[in-house]
Amino acid sequence: MNFGGAAALTDVNIAAAAGVITGLIGPNGAGKTTLFNCVTGLLEPTSGSVSLDGIDITKLAPYRRARLGVARTFQRLELFTSLSVRDNIRVAGEIRARWSKSKAGSRAETDHVINLLGLTDLADRDVSEIPTGMARRVEMGRALMTRPKILLLDEPASGQDEQETEEFADLLLELCQQGTAILLVEHDVSLVMKICSFIQVLDFGRVIAAGTPRQIQTDPAVLEAYLGEDKTV
Amino acid sequence: MQDFLAYTVLGLCLGSVYAIAATGLVVTYSTSGVFNIAHGAVATMSALMYWQLRFDWNVSTPLAIIFTVCVFAPALGLLLEVVVMRGLRGTSEVTRLVTPVAVLIGINGAATWIWFRNSNRALVPKKFFGERNIKVLGQAVYYHQIIGVMLAVIVAGALYVLLYRTRLGVTMRATVDDRSLLMLNGGRPDRVSVASWAIGASLAGLAGVLLSPQLGALQVFALTLLVIDAYPAAVSGRLRSLPLTYVGAMVLGLSKLYFDWISDAGQRWLVLRNLRNAIPAVLLFVALLLLPQDRLRGAIVARTRERFRVPTMREAVLWGAILIAAIAMLQSLMSGSAVISLANGIALSLMALSLVLLTGYAGEINLAVFTFAGVAVIAAWQFDVGPNGLATKQSMSVAAILLAMCVCALVGGLIALPALRLRGLYLGLATFAFGIIVYQLVILQIQTLHFSLFGWKASINLFTTGSLTVPRPHWFGINFGGQRAFLMLMTVLFSLIGVGLIALRRSAYGRMVVAMKDSPAACATLGLNIRRLKLGVFMVSSAVAGLAGLMWAAQRRTLPNNADFDGFASLTLFMIAVVGGIGYVSGALLAGIFLSVLSIVMPNIFAKLGADYPGLHWLFVTFFGNFSHYVGPALIGIGLGKNPSGIAQQIMNGFRPLRKTPAATAAWALSVVGLWALTWRGFVSNWHFTLIIIASVVIVPRIIMSVFESRFADEERAVTGEDLDLIGLERAFRPSDRQVFDDAIGLPPVASGVSRAPS
Repeated sequence: MNFGGAAALTDVNIAAAAGVITGLIGPNGAGKTTLFNCVTGLLEPTSGSVSLDGIDITKLAPYRRARLGVARTFQRLELFTSLSVRDNIRVAGEIRARWSKSKAGSRAETDHVINLLGLTDLADRDVSEIPTGMARRVEMGRALMTRPKILLLDEPASGQDEQETEEFADLLLELCQQGTAILLVEHDVSLVMKICSFIQVLDFGRVIAAGTPRQIQTDPAVLEAYLGEDKTV
Repeated sequence: MQDFLAYTVLGLCLGSVYAIAATGLVVTYSTSGVFNIAHGAVATMSALMYWQLRFDWNVSTPLAIIFTVCVFAPALGLLLEVVVMRGLRGTSEVTRLVTPVAVLIGINGAATWIWFRNSNRALVPKKFFGERNIKVLGQAVYYHQIIGVMLAVIVAGALYVLLYRTRLGVTMRATVDDRSLLMLNGGRPDRVSVASWAIGASLAGLAGVLLSPQLGALQVFALTLLVIDAYPAAVSGRLRSLPLTYVGAMVLGLSKLYFDWISDAGQRWLVLRNLRNAIPAVLLFVALLLLPQDRLRGAIVARTRERFRVPTMREAVLWGAILIAAIAMLQSLMSGSAVISLANGIALSLMALSLVLLTGYAGEINLAVFTFAGVAVIAAWQFDVGPNGLATKQSMSVAAILLAMCVCALVGGLIALPALRLRGLYLGLATFAFGIIVYQLVILQIQTLHFSLFGWKASINLFTTGSLTVPRPHWFGINFGGQRAFLMLMTVLFSLIGVGLIALRRSAYGRMVVAMKDSPAACATLGLNIRRLKLGVFMVSSAVAGLAGLMWAAQRRTLPNNADFDGFASLTLFMIAVVGGIGYVSGALLAGIFLSVLSIVMPNIFAKLGADYPGLHWLFVTFFGNFSHYVGPALIGIGLGKNPSGIAQQIMNGFRPLRKTPAATAAWALSVVGLWALTWRGFVSNWHFTLIIIASVVIVPRIIMSVFESRFADEERAVTGEDLDLIGLERAFRPSDRQVFDDAIGLPPVASGVSRAPS
């Protein structure tokens, strides 16, 4: 993926398996969000391909990818600020109902997701009034209403306190057990190490390391990327 | 071949002037994000100023040009930036488009007031060096045109040096890339904006002076349109690239001249005789088709200040019924002429309703509402009246209305298609171009059009006689031909459509539309086909505009082909609708009433006051009357930056106390009805009724507020809608804010005099 003359992503080959939380970490500017944009179709890659369940979706519009099961949250919040918390989540189900001719977006389903994310007390508030941490949960709820096969979460824990992050981790593990593939971009490294089964590390648009949390913690390339050449703090 | 080359030379000359005009637009847009629709008005004002100096006051040509281009026009640009445009930060694309529209209307109104108010004299600017020319391939190329080419080259060179070789230029480009980052690095983007607006206005002024001799006698709107012709050049450069803008300008100039060549200046094919005037609009469409797909945007509303509350269905139905009752009561007190003014206002309100759905809910733009009205009128008229041109029906049929709405929906869909993949501004420009094409080729068409399809022959008269007579409905045994009955019909229609729009907004479809406006990117990643939804919204809105247009035409009864179809009326309606509150049905109502009141009623009132008080005739008629007519609508549009959510919201906020005190509200409503009954019976005059109602509207909510103060303490904070994060940044911190913060984080009240946080 190139922006003008600058290569934002080069030779990146990442897979996210069903029922597994795959972590994607790296310093700022490493290309994590750009990768998400390529996967969801908001950016068209200069070369390469994106597949879902073995089907090439590279040429598909973002909405078609979403209908196949790709859902995401955004690093920079993308909430529908004219709507309440409940309506933000509900409209995602209604969009699904529109194309799938199903009864998605029902009040019961919306309430279930609101409860699941601990948003019940805020459900009727304007979404622009709620704290950032809660707003990230709203984005998560919206994504869940699409019943995704793969969930791309872009820094979902930022803005959440320690207890909220714990609850959030439990929620992700529960989703994972239900068979959803989760690709997690997160700067809270302890969270990533705790819940991810596999981690990919990006730096300057390249994958510099891949492995289990334990392998990543001791990988020299990762230490260099995060701490510099000296490798000491 | 010789002719071809000669016309090519002339086309390049014309293109050079367009390049100057378009470059000004690009410079302004790229540094401020505002597409300056008022560019043409600045050019017009400058051309008039040049005429004043050079031909009325006999100032020498160089001095007149230097003053106009280097002093007057930049000062106008500077003034616009400081007084108007600076207030647009944090507003939506719609508001940033509307405010220049208001400026355009204001400047053109002021120009008309100053130069064309009472005088029938022709203001004829002459070319530089008069008719002196050189022959190029047998074709006369005037010195004026050569100067235009030379100036275009100089402007291109100067802009290159400015942007790439000076500190100001680097700062200007930095402003485009990241305004906040520039500020963090000590840059002064405000100064850059002032400079870019001054430069843009200066280039507009230069283009105005160069183009004005083309018209013969100067006319405000004709000259404005001539500069607006440069839009496709700017769009072909994606409003950023100066080289592409120059290429676009040359294509534009050449297209016009080649058309002159092959059509014998429009005389060869009479049906297409106005095509020359429509060529820029056609090229604008082509440019839009060639523009690459926009990246999906997100988080638009999060950074804007517009907020629209959605009424409940119960509120909507109640207010719809109140409106019908209020209009029925009011019209019973009003004279015939006053009822006509009110009916004109309601007809315009109906048209503005189509914008509530499109712009208020979906965030898209239609700058050709009156054109859709024209399309609807033609469709219904052809169906009801037929090709023989005689009004054989006394009633507008329901079938004709349905047909007209379908035609408008289809046409709207076709217009929207090329611009759907682009963002709102471009859709707005596409509709504006559509308006000009329809006006030039359809509305002004005086030829009978003959068609032959598979042996079936038909002919269509459009505005062959220069006007159409539109019958009013006669439905279900009720004759709506009378003014009062037709007013009530339009009011009922307004209420029904208004309630329907609110129902739609509260539905799943409405939530999707609003979500699309807030974040297209998020919608797409949830599986929403944005283009299809946009297309649907545009078609529904076009159909509503068609229905409203039919009512507007029937209200006028006789519709001349110059009746508001030239594009400026649509711009004005769009502006006033946004000012009224584009996200509210009540905003549309206010828009129509404003437009009617400001352009017709107020001048009439001032005329009457002038007649009643001859000593103050100048004040009432010459100043206030002309001011309200020419500049009034623009001024309220210019103030939009301060309250981008519109006047309807302000009024609703003012009435909010009534919702918590139903008994007091009921008492007030009963008093109003009682006063109406007394007026109806002749015990109270209409003037007193009006004054008392206006006074009570202002005073009663305040009285209720002060009597029941404790009930509104919390409400007040909610109403102001102030973002707590921005207190201290957007305005100075006040001691009373401490309590607000304490409440927000749930701290209990403290005793007076005790400070919880450091001051």
